[in-house]
Parts: sequence; structure tokens; C-alpha cells
Amino acid sequence: MSRINIDQFDVDGAVAEARGQLSRAELLTAGLGAIAGALALAQPAAAARLSATDRAVLNYALSLEYLQAAFYTEAERSKAITGKAGKAARTVGAVERAHVAAFLDLLGTDAVKRPRFDFKGVTEDRDAFLKTAVAFEDLAVAAYKDQAIRIESPAVVSAALGIHTVEARHAAWMRYLNGIKPANAAFDEPDSKRKVLALVEDTGFIASAPRTTAARKPGFSG
Amino acid sequence: MLLAGGGALALGARGADHRGEPSRRDGVSAELPQAATPALRIGTPRPLRDGPGLSRWAPLRHGVAARARPAAGARVVARLRRLTPEGTSHPLPILGRAVDARGRAWLRVSLPVLPNGTRGWIPRRSVGAYELERSRVVVDLDALTLTLRRRGRVVFTSRVGVGQDRWPTPRGRFIVRNRLHGYDSSMYGPVAFGTSARSPRLTDWPAGGFVGIHGTDRPDLLPGRVSHGCIRLRNRDIRRLARLMPVGTPVIVR
Repeated sequence: MSRINIDQFDVDGAVAEARGQLSRAELLTAGLGAIAGALALAQPAAAARLSATDRAVLNYALSLEYLQAAFYTEAERSKAITGKAGKAARTVGAVERAHVAAFLDLLGTDAVKRPRFDFKGVTEDRDAFLKTAVAFEDLAVAAYKDQAIRIESPAVVSAALGIHTVEARHAAWMRYLNGIKPANAAFDEPDSKRKVLALVEDTGFIASAPRTTAARKPGFSG
Repeated sequence: MLLAGGGALALGARGADHRGEPSRRDGVSAELPQAATPALRIGTPRPLRDGPGLSRWAPLRHGVAARARPAAGARVVARLRRLTPEGTSHPLPILGRAVDARGRAWLRVSLPVLPNGTRGWIPRRSVGAYELERSRVVVDLDALTLTLRRRGRVVFTSRVGVGQDRWPTPRGRFIVRNRLHGYDSSMYGPVAFGTSARSPRLTDWPAGGFVGIHGTDRPDLLPGRVSHGCIRLRNRDIRRLARLMPVGTPVIVR
């Protein structure tokens, strides 16, 4: 049983912030540090009880949550998105970070690593931000819908449905801000994992790490 | 509506209508299993609180001209290459952002040119993903110390060697640009970090006179004013620092 190293998954520290605050809230509620410690230790055991299918579904969902959390957090940090869109970015970003923190707590060391994102300035332009936000939220809703029927554990289904409806509210909010009817369809179609991942890849937002090390002799002044 | 619905449920629970025949609402009264407790415990969403000490940098995507103002026609302050002289990505500290009259975004960056401390504006599209750093290293030229802090806490400190009076280590705010290893040169020790600081005296140095933070083959000279401007640590200290200090860390020399 090993504890998760949050830095490995949370390169910008925003989720650690959300995670730390959750722990403090637990401490305040329980009034006992030992309870928070026991809960933390209990998480990997919970992950071990997950079936392979459920772990795969949860990691897929976590990947989408990483994407959304990074997107809104960068938009908030840029301070370039103001007004109603800025408020939506702050609110939804906080929710997505809470989702990521919860997934990391449940999956423990089985959690997939957070990819590196390059949003190419989209988080700094209101129109581009809103268009992308609508696309991400609609995508998340369709992806959760597709995966829900594959989940084996009722407890995981319950959690997924709880998040699915929240993502649907986000989708409606972002659609409204972007001048699109929030709900004009009588039935929503799911999107397959293959389709979702292909769409994410097409954005070009998944970036490789910059090359920062080299095996060569320095030419510094000495 | 809720009350009406509740009434309907209550009627259904009786299980029969006024004629004593089974009601069609019997299904409503059937016992259903308890819903499962969600496997995820979602915490209360909290606002982002970065706090002090968070810095941003980004690697150049391609060579670019840095300008005095955020405008395409502004005076060129420096021309930047995509890679450092060591062949690594070229990181630039992000200091600010502006949008020009045509709606194009610009970033104010600290430039690795002389005089040290020069700043300029580059198009947003010329850099890649923003990287965040919560560490910073402070070199005290009077106390001859190097201190690394993360989230405000000291995580490493060491006595160091700095530039001699004739080749002083420049003061100012810089950035760790790269980490070099696996070379065959005892003079630099086992690991060397490149910084954006430049020696104002050794301008004809082959790689441009950049100041490094590295090990040494003369630990007996430390601490002291012994170098050509670089910051020297004992080899065991630079090895430890290499495990703690990421590329992109701001360097403050005072």
C-alpha cells in the first residue's frame, strides 16, 4: 500500500491546493487528525477493490478532468477572461479541480499521470475560450454517458452519474455564454472513447515536455 | 407540483382504489434497493489560491525578435534563438501580457542579453505551454551562500564560490535555463545548471559568457570569490541541488 505522490500528477499545484483544502475541511469537521489520516490510508485499499474495467473507466474520466481543470485554471491565471465568462471559468475550474482531486484520492498510485497541456493562447481570448469550453463540456457529457453503462460497481456508477450531471450543467452554462441554445435536443448521443480521444488529440493541446537537460560539456564562464 | 406528486405517491401506497380493486400505482409502492454510496468523495470546490512565489515561464517555439513595446513595428531589443547554446529549449520568464491594437497578444519577458535585466515584448504565439514554478534560488554575494526555497520554505542551502572582483557575478533576477550532465570536465563538477545571467566582462566567451551554477575540482577554495562569474558548489552539494532545483527556477543574485 503506497501513498500517492501528488506532485507527479499535478504539475501546476492547483489540484494539490484543492486536495489540501479538502483534508483541512475534513479535519475541521471531524476534529480529529487521526480520522483524516485513516481516511487517507484507506483510499488505496478502495482503489485495490476496483475492477480492472472500473479502473480503466475512472482513469479515462480522470484524463478528461485533467484537461478541463488545466484549461479553466490557466484561463483564470491569465486574467485575460473577464466578466461573466471569467466568473464561469473560476467557478467551473474550481469544480473540475475538485473532481481531479477526488479521482486521485480514489485511484491512488493507479491514477494516470497528468499530460502536459499547451492551450496555445486559447485561454487568453474570450471567444476562443468560450468555443473551446463548449466543446470540452459537451465532450465530457458525451464521454461520461458512453462509459456509464460499462461501469461494474454501483458505487462508481453513482459517482459517475453525480459528475455527469454537473458536466451537463457546465455545458449548458458555457453554451448560454457563447450564444448557443443550452438545451435544444430531446436526446443526447454518447461519444465513444476512440472518438473523444481523437477529438482531443486534434486540438493539439497535448504537448511534449520542453528539452531542458543535455549531456554535454558546459561553456559557462566558469 | 411536489405536493401533488406526493399525494399521488400516497394514493399509490394504499394499493387499491375506491372499488377495492388493485391499483395501477402498485408499482410505485414497491420497495427499491438503496442507492449506492458514490465511490468518489468530491470536496467543496475552492477558489484558486496561488499565493506569492509562483512564477511562470515558457519555452520559445521558434526564433523571434523581442521588441521595446507590444507592437509589430516597435524597436527590436534583441533577437532570440529557439535553442540555448547548449541545445536545450530556450525558457523565458513571463512578466506580463498585453494586447495590441489588432487584438494580438504579447508577452513581456526577461531577456538573456546584456545589459542584464533587459526586458522586451514577444508575440504570445512564439512560445509554447506556460510552465509554473514555485521554487526560487537566492545567491547572496556578500554572505557567499545559495539558498533554494520552495513555496517559501528553505529546502537547500550551501556556501558557494562566486566571481572574483575583476569578473564579478552579476546581480539581478535571472532564470535557470538548463541542466547539463554526463560531460567529461572535472572543472565543472558532475552537474552544471545554465542561467540567463551574463558576465558583463567576459563578453567574448565562446558560448556568450553565461553564468552557470556548477560543481568544482577545487573545493578547497570554497567559500570565496574565486570564479570567472559562475557560482561554484562542492560536488556533493551540486548533486543534492540537482535533485531539488527544476529548470525554470528564478535565480535572484543580490
